[in-house]
Amino acid sequence: MNKALKALVTLVLLAAFAGAAYFSFFKTAQVADTPAGRLLGTPATVELTGLIALDVETYFQDTRVAKALAAHGLQVKVTRVGSRDMANRVVPGQTPDFFFPSGVVAANQIADAARKANIGATSYSPFYTPMVLASWAPIARILAANGMATESAPKVWQVDLAKLTQTMLDKKRWKDLKDASAYEVNKSVLVSTTDVRKSNSAAMYLALTSYAINGGDLVTDRATAQKVALRVAELFKRQGYQENYVNGNFDDYASIGMGKTPLAFIYENQMLSHALAKKGVGADMVLMYPRPTLFNKVVFVATHERAKRLGELLSTDPQLQRLAVDYGFRIADTTQFVQVAQAAGLAVEERITQVIDPPSADVMAEMIDVITREVGQ
Amino acid sequence: MAFTLIGYGVSAITNVGSRAGLVLCAVALTLAACGRSDDAPVLPATSVPATPVFQILATSDLRDAEPLAGMVEKATGVRVKFSFGGTMESTEAVQTGQTQADAAWFANAKYLLSDPQGQARVKLQEKIMLSPIVVGVSESHAKALGWDNPQAKVTWSTVAQAANAGKLRYALSNPATSNQGFMALMGVVASAAGKSEALTVADVRRDAISGFVKGYKLPGDNSTYLSEKFIEQQGPRLNAFINYESWLLSLNQSGKLREKLTLVYPHEGVATADYPLMLLNEARREDYQKVVAYLKGEEAQTWLARTTLRRPVNTDVAQAQLGLFPQGSVLVELPFSTDRALADGLIDAYLNEFRTPIASTFVLDVSGSMNGNGRRQQLVQALQYIAGDDASLTGRIARLTSREKVWMLTFSDSVNTPVFFHLPKAGAQVEAKQKVLSDVRDYAESLRMTGGTALYDAVLMALANMNTERQKNPGYQYSVVAFTDGEVNKGRDLAEFKLAYAQLPEDVKAIPVFMVLFGEANETALKELVATTGGRVFDARKASLYSVFKDIRAYQ
Repeated sequence: MNKALKALVTLVLLAAFAGAAYFSFFKTAQVADTPAGRLLGTPATVELTGLIALDVETYFQDTRVAKALAAHGLQVKVTRVGSRDMANRVVPGQTPDFFFPSGVVAANQIADAARKANIGATSYSPFYTPMVLASWAPIARILAANGMATESAPKVWQVDLAKLTQTMLDKKRWKDLKDASAYEVNKSVLVSTTDVRKSNSAAMYLALTSYAINGGDLVTDRATAQKVALRVAELFKRQGYQENYVNGNFDDYASIGMGKTPLAFIYENQMLSHALAKKGVGADMVLMYPRPTLFNKVVFVATHERAKRLGELLSTDPQLQRLAVDYGFRIADTTQFVQVAQAAGLAVEERITQVIDPPSADVMAEMIDVITREVGQ
Repeated sequence: MAFTLIGYGVSAITNVGSRAGLVLCAVALTLAACGRSDDAPVLPATSVPATPVFQILATSDLRDAEPLAGMVEKATGVRVKFSFGGTMESTEAVQTGQTQADAAWFANAKYLLSDPQGQARVKLQEKIMLSPIVVGVSESHAKALGWDNPQAKVTWSTVAQAANAGKLRYALSNPATSNQGFMALMGVVASAAGKSEALTVADVRRDAISGFVKGYKLPGDNSTYLSEKFIEQQGPRLNAFINYESWLLSLNQSGKLREKLTLVYPHEGVATADYPLMLLNEARREDYQKVVAYLKGEEAQTWLARTTLRRPVNTDVAQAQLGLFPQGSVLVELPFSTDRALADGLIDAYLNEFRTPIASTFVLDVSGSMNGNGRRQQLVQALQYIAGDDASLTGRIARLTSREKVWMLTFSDSVNTPVFFHLPKAGAQVEAKQKVLSDVRDYAESLRMTGGTALYDAVLMALANMNTERQKNPGYQYSVVAFTDGEVNKGRDLAEFKLAYAQLPEDVKAIPVFMVLFGEANETALKELVATTGGRVFDARKASLYSVFKDIRAYQ
């Protein structure tokens, strides 16, 4: 954990600055128990401040969410920051009421920082989304022709993680593959990711590829972590510049297209959100599900007593759960998710069976540290 | 140590504001609304707005997007004000935290964003639009080369070979200071190496680069300048223009070209500018988000597509405006290398080894008026600066480079004899180079100011001198940098200068005059001079003299 924080050391100054800014928000978080409220018998409104990841920003901007929360006496003020910057914002006396990072790795860092600062922290996982590859039908067909992928349902593809990873490590170029006339280019077969030093989704990619490189086994010890991370580092370094915010990668996929981004490692909810906003997806856009994949749990961390209620509501309130599906997330009830995806014109895998867990926080930190060093060279 | 290459531009262009405007500017600076407005009106104190403006520092290639400021305010209520800066200055300003701007908007910020210091400055970022870097070739010439066929699969290697064979003579902004120039060079490196990922210094094929640079006939640091010159010189002297697709499409639409340009998208080597708008000031987050939401919305995206011919990021608008942009095969993007050693090494090698070396005459005013107001000291400092050792982002382009030839030509009542300096080539003894640089510095220190101002005689002599040298040594890039602080009162007047200029051989037209405006120099007359000779006027009345010298270096 210390190592991961070390990797983020350049952000300390920024955090200090922002910490000061947050102090003012923190002070406004108080119970507005007005006399008028008591007279009318309405519950007192609790104002909460939180730092959230981009992934859930639109959710909180939705007036239906605000209304549903208001009905429970909650008023929420959120600010978007990078997930991996959040742990630096755990400062005694200046910590917001809650954090809502985009994944387990960042959530663990926050919880860890809270423990060290003697701040009570409670975590909830109200919704989740699987990690997928956003790709293009011609690309999927090439991977299929080379034994790396299969079409499990119309426009839904499964990709063999071990084989794809090996192809990338072997530095195969697209034009080296069989039946690659649709993408006969000199570029290496590589998955585009965000910057592993900055973003959660890239850490998920690390978790997956390290599993594949380790022969289909979770990396559990330091020595293996260092060895495996050196190989994964190639997969990051060879990409060249990587976007350091989560949508950068998906934006390139959606707006620049196949010439830049044949395979983009994204959260499934990014593609579904796009489909919902655009009422459909481009003709050739397809989702490929790695086998195995990871679920990215959007973890809500309450760092103040008064925020626990929000964590519970997000996890259990049917309306708040249903609204999360409108932002592409999966909830316990898969049927609702599939209905929404179908209506948006996006083909999704209904049941994802092969799922792994990411390595422990320490192992992840170790690997990120190695990669940071390698990429920085 | 970090640096970046974004867009292009020049900070101290002339025709910007009067002295009165300047004073106002200094006062208004606290309102963060100064910028480079061409004719800032005098604002009465009462019109100072309650909400501060949202200041956006943009590279000057975004000047055509300035009308967005009004559109944003109308739609969101956020008062946006653009200030435009040179690429290097803007980047340094963001990196070091010196800028007061709330947001920055660059064509490409990948170097800034792959550097921890730069990352820490940028709170949020969103891409607003896209434009790939392409090779525009005069239609008839594209046909002759067989490049008009979309199946031709023209790579950067093909381009470099044509340049090497003398078949491609192109305009391009400086690879050491601009995104287009640098990415073109990277395209050649990648294509010659036969790979696009994980390029390192070891992959640089020197012959490919030197071949490519052979066709580099019109350098500059600003697309407006390059376009003007290209329009003048299109034909046998120049037959291609490497720039953003948006710029070349606009040029084709302008009707000013002798013949249209065929846009060639380098096969597997397209580099797309993605124009990220970056929040710098955390306190203005909400306004930033409003501005971004508007800019990515239908109205602004449609306007940007139609008016500036940049490709929309909004996929709905992109679909609707498909007809504006050439459609062809998939544009395969060149991965952006973040290898600093490669980038630094490439720029250094470009300046000191590959580029056509610079040969120039510095025409220096040593009249008596230079003694006042610390002017002599500024001149001495500026000369010592280019002969100095500034390793900063902007400094390294300013320094005298290997192989460079400089003649210092002073004038006052009359024109003196030029003093010649010649830098050894790269790889020569370090001491030899240091010795020449030290000589230049000593020379600057020895300057004494007295007498009148015979500027036109001096410029004329410099041009004649450069033209003679050019015939002897055509492998150099010739120019004249002239500097004056007052009205011409000795020797030829402007009319006489023009007559004498007309008597010079036709070739002299290829030698631009970069005129530095300083002190009480006559702006109108100097502009008329460069209109005759070709070149450009740089204003050193508001910027420091050495920063103007630095800008000029990118045009040489």
